[in-house]
Amino acid sequence: MSPPVNTAIVGCAHRPHAWSYARALSSSASARLVAVFDEDPALGHSVADDFSAPFTDDLDALLESGDLDAVVVCSPTTQHRRHAEAAAGAGCHVLSEKPLATTLDDGRAMIDACRRSGVQLHVAFVSRFLPHIRSVKEAFDSGSLGDVIGLRAGNRGRPPFPPQYPGWITQPEESGGGALIDHSVHLTDLVRHLTGREVTSVAAETGVLLWDAPVEDCALLSLVLDNGAVAGLDPSWSVPARNPWDYDFFLRLVGTAGSVDLDDLAESVRLVSGRAADGLRLASFAEDPDTAMIESFCTSVREGQPAEPCASGEDGLRALEVALAGYASASDGARFVPAGSGVW
Amino acid sequence: MLALDTDVISVCTPPSSHADLTVRALEAAQHVLCEKPVALTLADTQRIGRAAEAAADRVVMIGHVSRYEPDHRSAKELVDAGQIGEVAMMAHSMTTSLPGWSEGGWLARPEESGGPLLDLSVHSFDYLAWVTGSPAVRIHAVAADSPAGPATYGLATVRYANGAMGQVEASWAHPAARGFKAMVEIIGKEGRISWDYDAINGGAIYLADGNVTWLDPLGERGYEQEIAAFTDAVRSGGPSPIPVCDGIAATRTALAALHSVRTGEPVDLTTWEVP
Repeated sequence: MSPPVNTAIVGCAHRPHAWSYARALSSSASARLVAVFDEDPALGHSVADDFSAPFTDDLDALLESGDLDAVVVCSPTTQHRRHAEAAAGAGCHVLSEKPLATTLDDGRAMIDACRRSGVQLHVAFVSRFLPHIRSVKEAFDSGSLGDVIGLRAGNRGRPPFPPQYPGWITQPEESGGGALIDHSVHLTDLVRHLTGREVTSVAAETGVLLWDAPVEDCALLSLVLDNGAVAGLDPSWSVPARNPWDYDFFLRLVGTAGSVDLDDLAESVRLVSGRAADGLRLASFAEDPDTAMIESFCTSVREGQPAEPCASGEDGLRALEVALAGYASASDGARFVPAGSGVW
Repeated sequence: MLALDTDVISVCTPPSSHADLTVRALEAAQHVLCEKPVALTLADTQRIGRAAEAAADRVVMIGHVSRYEPDHRSAKELVDAGQIGEVAMMAHSMTTSLPGWSEGGWLARPEESGGPLLDLSVHSFDYLAWVTGSPAVRIHAVAADSPAGPATYGLATVRYANGAMGQVEASWAHPAARGFKAMVEIIGKEGRISWDYDAINGGAIYLADGNVTWLDPLGERGYEQEIAAFTDAVRSGGPSPIPVCDGIAATRTALAALHSVRTGEPVDLTTWEVP
């Protein structure tokens, strides 16, 4: 048995994710949660204390301690670059929360920094680790679905407002935008991961339609892929109060030799509790994909190369390109925008 | 046929002949139930529109049966009752294999049917505009070829005058074994309505010999209600339950989707002149 991968959480701004990764790290035999860093002690302690992990607000000292093999970066998206560069400079492998960054320059800088330091850069596209997605990936890889023709996918959620979420995620200068950048990167990544196709062109409609948010809460994207296939994405924060579920993920896809219908809400039992005000709830029995992702990250670090189906920094950059092209389209009358050009 | 002693004509031909037949039927003082889409060109839709205006005492109804399907109708009534507040986001999806029922296979020929982005999506465009109570003002669409034919999988994204938006999915590219699936979502500021054909399947009777009878809660109820509404309107002297202008709006939206696919540009429906 090789020694555990010594890992720190760097930033807790994506608090629910940071908490879930901390849980996965502290319960894994492959990993050891060395410390939780955040500049805000209250936020950092709210993650660290639940797993009896040391808290620190001194990132330099943590990185210089020499105790670390890897970091999981969960800081505000605009801070990912700074934290990833610091970690890579200290020889630590990096798992970055999504989206990778808010600009292509920052994303490329993260990739370059990790490459220069000889460390791996992963992006937390956790949907890749859903068991059903693995099955669909196998079906594509075996050729039984043929080539993709079209698909529609959605990842809808409640608006990420306080107190459940820190306020930064709806501040565009820190998050890069709203629902579009927040959720579309998961969907775009799955399109690329499953079909092996790249996005060539994007059109989008966005709006602040449901909540009084400073960023768009609704978005609809149309993607054209490099084989002429097309995809429609719904990444909206459109789940209303008292809805029986909080987040969903669906994928309906047709290929030249078959189709896929996938809905993660199916993995739940229906609950009505007299103790709750919400009425019907869908109580999920799905496996936690965060645990599988953390395990694969640790395996990648131990084996010195990324394990399947981990997402790379390049994967993060491709998904960011599509999101940014979506914003460019939405602000220009839903014009189709080339995805990979970076010029808009 | 017009020499027969009839009161109403149901035009159920391929859309390229709707205008000629509807205009002739109206000239013969018939009431007309015209199948959707109204026509294949805006010029033809406008001929029907003018003929219907000229025959103001005749009922001309466009057969947007979705408005009478019990599931669709129920959702519209919930929206109108204010159950979900102002409508903001919608999705309407109809996916199936290439329909085999068209006489001589005209549906499979895009020049005669317009493909699923016209033939299927026109239902979606009519329904979503009806639900949100606001006209479509902008659309962009993408489509892909499949073994079923060119542009047999399509996605159209619509913006409405009130700010709402919706995405429409239409496919004839799916495996036949999957059947016909519809999926609808309507999200308002205060709630959410959604349903799909898998979930409203009422069950099945399985016989030992392998025979299965699906208990379809929809059945023919939509068509029955549609025709009842038409005949009621004819008997009472109107107005048309689905007037030609509504049919023209939905058909124009679908034609704009096809235009967007061809040009790779969004279409501004407030100013679009058909080429």
